[in-house]
Amino acid sequence: MIWSRLKSALRNWFRKEAVEADLDDEVRAFVEMAAEERLAAASTSDEARRATLADMGGIESVKQQVREQRTGTRLESVTQDLRFGIRQVTKWPGFGLTVMGTLALSIGIATAVFSVLYAMVIRPLPYRDVSRIVELDARSASGGPEGPSYPEYEDWRRMARSFTALAAFVNGSVGMGGGEGPVVLSEVQASDNFFDVFGVNPILGRTFAAGEDQNGRNDVVVLSYEVWQQEFGARKSVIGQKVRLDGSTYTIIGVMPAGFRFPIDELNAVYAPLHPTPNQITNRGNHWLQTVARLKPGVTARQAEDDLDAIFTELGKNDAFNAGRTVHAVDLTAWVVGDTSHALWLLLAAVVTVLVIGCANVAGLLLSRGVKREREMALRSALGARRGRIVRQLVTEALVFAAVGAASGVVLAYGLLRVMRMLLVASLSRGAEVSVNIPVLVAAAATSIAVVLAAALIPALRLSGAAPNLALKSGAGSGTSRGQHRLRTGFVVTQVALALTLLVVSGLMLEMLERLRDTQLGFQPDHVLTAEIDLPHGRYAGRDVVADFYQPMLDRISALPGVRAAGVVQLLPGTGYGYNSEHIHIYGTEPLKNPRTDPSEVRFVTPGYYTVFQDALVEGRLADPANDKPTTRLVCVVNEAFVKKFIPPGRDPVGLEIGDNDQTDTLPTQNNPRSLIVGVVKDIRQTIYQKPFPEHDYLIAQIPPALGAYVIGSMNLAIRTAGNPASMVPALRKVVQDVDATVPLRDPQPLETVLADVLTFQRMENWLFGTFAALAVLLAVVGLYGLISHEVELSTREIGIRLALGATRRTIVEGIFRRVGWMLAIGVAIGLAVTLAAERLINSVVAVQAERNAGLIAALAAGLAVAGLVATIVPAQRASSVEPMDALREE
Amino acid sequence: MSEKQTNLLQGTLDLLILKALVTGELHGLGVSRRIEQMTRGTFLVKPGSLFPALHRMEENGWLTSFWGESENRRKARYYRVTKAGERQLGAETAEWQKIALAMTHALKTS
Repeated sequence: MIWSRLKSALRNWFRKEAVEADLDDEVRAFVEMAAEERLAAASTSDEARRATLADMGGIESVKQQVREQRTGTRLESVTQDLRFGIRQVTKWPGFGLTVMGTLALSIGIATAVFSVLYAMVIRPLPYRDVSRIVELDARSASGGPEGPSYPEYEDWRRMARSFTALAAFVNGSVGMGGGEGPVVLSEVQASDNFFDVFGVNPILGRTFAAGEDQNGRNDVVVLSYEVWQQEFGARKSVIGQKVRLDGSTYTIIGVMPAGFRFPIDELNAVYAPLHPTPNQITNRGNHWLQTVARLKPGVTARQAEDDLDAIFTELGKNDAFNAGRTVHAVDLTAWVVGDTSHALWLLLAAVVTVLVIGCANVAGLLLSRGVKREREMALRSALGARRGRIVRQLVTEALVFAAVGAASGVVLAYGLLRVMRMLLVASLSRGAEVSVNIPVLVAAAATSIAVVLAAALIPALRLSGAAPNLALKSGAGSGTSRGQHRLRTGFVVTQVALALTLLVVSGLMLEMLERLRDTQLGFQPDHVLTAEIDLPHGRYAGRDVVADFYQPMLDRISALPGVRAAGVVQLLPGTGYGYNSEHIHIYGTEPLKNPRTDPSEVRFVTPGYYTVFQDALVEGRLADPANDKPTTRLVCVVNEAFVKKFIPPGRDPVGLEIGDNDQTDTLPTQNNPRSLIVGVVKDIRQTIYQKPFPEHDYLIAQIPPALGAYVIGSMNLAIRTAGNPASMVPALRKVVQDVDATVPLRDPQPLETVLADVLTFQRMENWLFGTFAALAVLLAVVGLYGLISHEVELSTREIGIRLALGATRRTIVEGIFRRVGWMLAIGVAIGLAVTLAAERLINSVVAVQAERNAGLIAALAAGLAVAGLVATIVPAQRASSVEPMDALREE
Repeated sequence: MSEKQTNLLQGTLDLLILKALVTGELHGLGVSRRIEQMTRGTFLVKPGSLFPALHRMEENGWLTSFWGESENRRKARYYRVTKAGERQLGAETAEWQKIALAMTHALKTS
């Protein structure tokens, strides 16, 4: 049957004329024969034929019926419709461009942002059975993060029953020795069972053997795919090769497949077993490890938490440190996604909003055009076009719009993603892997196409169902389209509401960024050059890093022309916090109720740091390496936030002593665990986003040399320059090279760039929201304009009658503006309600404070309303210029 | 026959045409007359239904056609049932009998 139909289809298509001639002959013969039958019964042959023809409804109609059911007919009518559709697009380019542009923007933006979301929030991580991997987020009694110390980790691993593997790791960076100076790589040091957690096999060699994390056996390294490619030319012979990492020799034992990374943001990583120091091996209070584990089959995260809680209770019997400790088994995906997920979901909401606005707009435009074409359709129907045929024609036309719009949307999506990828790499852990998500692209395109089709079908179905003579009679059909008007009014109101919501969010965000940009950082970020210094562990362990490296380096830098001051600190201002000490107690004052919930940030600095950041001394003195030495009394300088938090009002902070229990781990040789406050400085923001935290600073010169490599092995260099900070980089490199050629200088860049990078995500969000808001307003205005001008067009006759009956042009225009005013007012009201309802979600990105931002919100709402009213001017003017006589004659 | 009835009897028309042609080749008018005769005048198949059906069935491979000469020496298009058409007739007959039986039962029990 299929073969037979295929043959017919080919014949119908290619031998059309023969087929048609055959059909004509056949039907005519039928008529003649039928007529002959009648003739036998009565009258003349002409009469008989006419009677027969009347009986069968005409030769053409029979032939048409045959044609329509022919195989392949559909294809032909589709090509006809397609041609007609394309003609329609080119005939009204404004309409076509608006519809297709709207579709393209909606699809493109939706897809690009969805793709980013998918890559960062939804996509499974590159490990086996990800759902069974948990990050063990251990907390101290006060709730602060507190991973296990090495002996504790060994206890956990020995006692826990819930895991097939419980691994410990730390991540940092390492300098790999090479021909042209060291290369800086990310380094993850982990316990021997680390790779068992992820269930990923190496593509070359092996991973750690059991017991390979013990000192003496642990100088082996597994390379990530990127490092293998970039540093070893992807040679298979690397296995067994020796490599120098931070001055120690390691043997390469394996290469991981592309895509394996843990932690997920560690690009260019090498994986080595743990290298604990003697202190770390025995010190139960030194919580330096992080843990990640694979749950046994059937064990839930909850059960694992209970298991660990029981272990804490058990360990707590001998060690008070474990009292009140908790652990939270965090699903790895949640851990990776982290803080940005709220912001991303808000973005997603914004994207959906834009898509909704876009679709509402397109639907409104198509509906209005459907109404305009009522008469055309009625005429077609009267001429014998059947319902299905008309619907098919309208659908094909709509598909032309949808297809062109969707295709442009796809192109736009790829373009946008390229831009976003560049912006994202720096700030999001999985940014580099973002690529266009095909299913999402298809979904967005399908949604838009479905909306277009629906919008085309509604008038088509209604029209084709109506009796054609009625539609033809009723003039422009203004009476029949009331329902659609309500629908379109609804669309416009929705658009206004959503546009306002987006406007408010983007307005608030812009304001926030402005505020952050000139926030009182407590320092001038311009003319400061920063760089990271990582001392190779193997080379500096046990050495006096201050005397051997930092001091000579700083001396030489300070001697460079154009340098005003230079210093080091372990964490640059504005970029982060969390390096803190919890057991702050000021001797001679009431102990705080909960010493662990009130930490103070700890900074290790050189005096130059204060000069670079222009830290103003409020009282007392700064620590001074000339007087304050490892052997002398431990002193610290506190900031104003510290004074406010810990020092009772009225007491002079200078001269008071701090008991800083946590620091006993890092400064154990200090005979006196108390440090003396010698000075108070103004607050310097530790992070851009939050108010200054309490902080107390120690001089690196007071750190016992034996500990130097561990405590201050990794520091940030900050240099205040007279001229352009970036121009100092070559000189700086030379200095570091001269002091010690094995020390890599990482990321030398101006502080302003560093701070700008911190805000990358916010800036991208702002950029996106701004785009969205502008687009939304534009679409809402276009929608409003379309609706009003369409209404005016349809009611020309009505306006004419009213004018003829004595209405003034003024009342006509007023009526239109009143209607628009209502729509805008309702839209704005709903928009404000939506904004408030979504406040929680929005708050995760930017704070909405009704009172404080009222002015801004009111201004945005007013702006939107004005834009809407301006869009009404043109159609209103057209309405007022209607000539009653012309309008009435028009029909 | 109103248009509605024709629609209702869409499947029936194919069956009737096959049945009309199984005894020998006929032209369009002949098929129409034969059906009229077989159904004792209940179904009058109009050309608007007949020709689309004939062409469709030919495209399906159930019928073949050729130009011949009518009783009155007029050039006419004749239709003949193919092997596939015979099989189709068998299948549709069985199906129809099942439906007819079911309908009869249904109407009796009410």
